[in-house]
Order: sequence, then structure tokens, then C-alpha cells
Amino acid sequence: MTRFSAGDHVQVLALGKEGHVRIPHYIRHQTGRVTEYCGTYLNPEDLAVGNTSGRAVDLYRVAFLQRQLWPDDAIPAQDTLIIEIYDHWLRSVKETENAP
Amino acid sequence: MQDGKGPKGYHDVGGDAAGEIPMVELPWLHWEKQVEAIRGLLGDGTRRIVSLDEVRRGFESFGVEKYNTLSFYRRRLEAMTDILIEKGIVSRTELDRAIEAGKVRWSDLDEKL
Amino acid sequence: MPHDHQHGEHEALIIEDEAGNIEAQIIIDALQQVLIGKGLLTAHEVTAAIAKLESPGLHLGAKIVAKAWTDPTFKSRLLSDGRTAVQELDIPVTEARIIVVENTAQLHNLITCTLCSCYPRSILGQPPSWYISKAYRARSVREPRQVLAEFGLDLMQDIKLVVHDSNADMRYLVLPEPPHDVERYTISELETMISRDHLIGVARGVG
Repeated sequence: MTRFSAGDHVQVLALGKEGHVRIPHYIRHQTGRVTEYCGTYLNPEDLAVGNTSGRAVDLYRVAFLQRQLWPDDAIPAQDTLIIEIYDHWLRSVKETENAP
Repeated sequence: MQDGKGPKGYHDVGGDAAGEIPMVELPWLHWEKQVEAIRGLLGDGTRRIVSLDEVRRGFESFGVEKYNTLSFYRRRLEAMTDILIEKGIVSRTELDRAIEAGKVRWSDLDEKL
Repeated sequence: MPHDHQHGEHEALIIEDEAGNIEAQIIIDALQQVLIGKGLLTAHEVTAAIAKLESPGLHLGAKIVAKAWTDPTFKSRLLSDGRTAVQELDIPVTEARIIVVENTAQLHNLITCTLCSCYPRSILGQPPSWYISKAYRARSVREPRQVLAEFGLDLMQDIKLVVHDSNADMRYLVLPEPPHDVERYTISELETMISRDHLIGVARGVG
């Protein structure tokens, strides 16, 4: 049973982790909408330090409004960005206004 | 910490200001293919000695100076050798010895040509 | 180990000079020798692995797209499970999953990897140097329309632009729109119309 499903509104956490992570700075704290569940994968944060026996993690694709990511830039309202976020970097939020 | 978002690696450039995109297509050289081939073999199911994730950690942590002055495949090569040495698979000494021997062979070849 | 590299107001691509390439060749040869000496590799394996790395390329991407344009059930399978559909064409895929994103009259897709250079290598081979450049990685997520304009593609404002950052385990291919008269062409002719830039998303119109 996955924590999230397509359509869920989520926020990307800033976990403050040192070392190898695959969640870019620009997306942290941003809120968006899950577009699909990608499956379960070994955590790159573990693999990067040679730990191949860590717990596998759910991975989701999450869509964000470009206008929200880059509020100072003139961007068409309908443009979006979709990026892959691991489960532990996400939390559920109430329906976000104008989410894609 | 920047904006409370946590540490930002020098490789984590999404959204940074940058200039024009260099519209070049470089040829893929033999040594570059060799780097990728060896990395792939070392990470395969029969070996699992170095993973791509470890190589990424390598170039994300070997310093911004190296990151900004080495080419893409050279970064992979440096990161891979760093990780192999870190994990004790090869030693710095034996690698350096092999490199020195290689340089001698190369300059001998150079003289003959 | 200083190497010549270009600096300037434009984001430079770091290119090894001849000395740098020779040095790198020496280092990788030395590493290979040490690893072989430890029984971790054989020279034959390295040669075979290089051959495998060299074999994918645009021709495979073009084959996938041309088939999707001419076979609606294949296209449907491609969009729902890219990896399995691609493997139907005897193309060996090493990535965990392939996601094929479809361009339409109202939508355009652009692929990037801001953190490094993730790309569907087992299908298309190595990414172009510009894809790996800091400038592309930095700007493709923030100002993709300006990036497209640099590639000669002025996307109309009312077309939705979706940027995909391949930061984790998925790899992406863009399925460009077919030419309006697609039925006039043979599969071979269609394959020649497809460029690698279409598959990344920095080109749009075909034919």
C-alpha cells in the first residue's frame, strides 16, 4: 500500500541530509501533485555509501507549476515541470490552490 | 543552509543562472568509453564493486575546483578511482605505479615515432 | 593536473586538450591493468562492454518512433510501459523504466537531468555534450522556452511546455508528433525524419 496516489497534493521536504541525495535544491519545499507511482527502488542515499541492504523506497512523479517554482519569471500559466521524488521526501498537504 | 532547504551541492545546478548553451557535439573518445565500460562491469550483478550511485557521490564530494575544471568523463574517472581507493579495492600506490609505467611506455612510443 | 579550458561570460564546456586526453588514457589503462591483475576484470570483457556501449544510437530511437506512428496498438503499449514495448523491437534496455512522453498540438515535452546527465543510454547511446553542460542543466528547468529558442524552436505561448527532470530511476524519450501526411511514407522514410533533438525535445516539427 503506497502512501500516495496520482492526484494527491504533496510537498517536498528539505530533509537537511548531507551527502548524496537526488532531490534537487530548487524543488525542496515546493508543493505539487502526484502524477504517477513509479515503483519501488533501492534508495540512492544508501547505495551511494555502499549499503545495498537498505529498505527499498516508493518513487513518485510529481508535477509542479513552473510559475510557482520561478515566481519572478514571466512564464505561461499552464507550463509544468515533472520530477521524481522518493517517498520519504514527501508529505501530504491539503489541496493546493491551482495545482497542476 | 540556504533558505532552509538544506545543503546544496555544487553539482545541483537546476535553476542557477548560466550563460548560453555551448552548441557543441564532442566525439566520444576511446578512453571515455573505457571508463564507462569498466564502471559498468564493476557494478554488474557478478561483481557489485562500485555502483553508479557511489561514482556520483564521488564527483559530488571531490571538490568544486575539480568539478569545474575536469571534463565530464574525467570526473567519472576521478570519482571511480577515488571510490575504488576508498573501498580498498586498489591502493593509491599500485595505481600510481601503473600510471608511471604507462607514462614511460607512452614517452618511449613518442620517441620512436 | 591543469588542463586547458575555456572561461568567459558564456557557460563553457570543459573540453580536455590533447595532453589531458593522453593523461586520461594512461590512467584508465593503468586502472584496467591493476583490476585485471586482481582478477576483477578481463580485457575481453572490457572490449565486449565497449562494443555494447557503442551499439545503441539515434537509429534505435527512430525505429521506436516510426513504429509508434504507424502502429496504434504499439504506441499505446509504448506510452503505458515504454521499456517492455521497446524490448519488443529486440532493443535491449538496461534502465529500470522508460517513460515515453507524447507531444501533441497543444503540448511539448523537454527532457533534462539537472543533477548529472541521466539519459536513455541503452537506447540512444551517449547524450550530446550540450545536454551535459552546466548551462543546459541549469536553464532547462528554469527558462525552458528561452533554451528552446536557442535551439531555434520558438514555442507558441498557448502550447503547454512540460519539462521532465530525470533525477532518479526513470529515463525519458519524447514521442514527437508525426508528419501530418504520415501515411504517405514508408517506415524507413519516417525513420530518417526523426533526429536525436526530437527525442530530447529541443526540436518539434518533423517532415
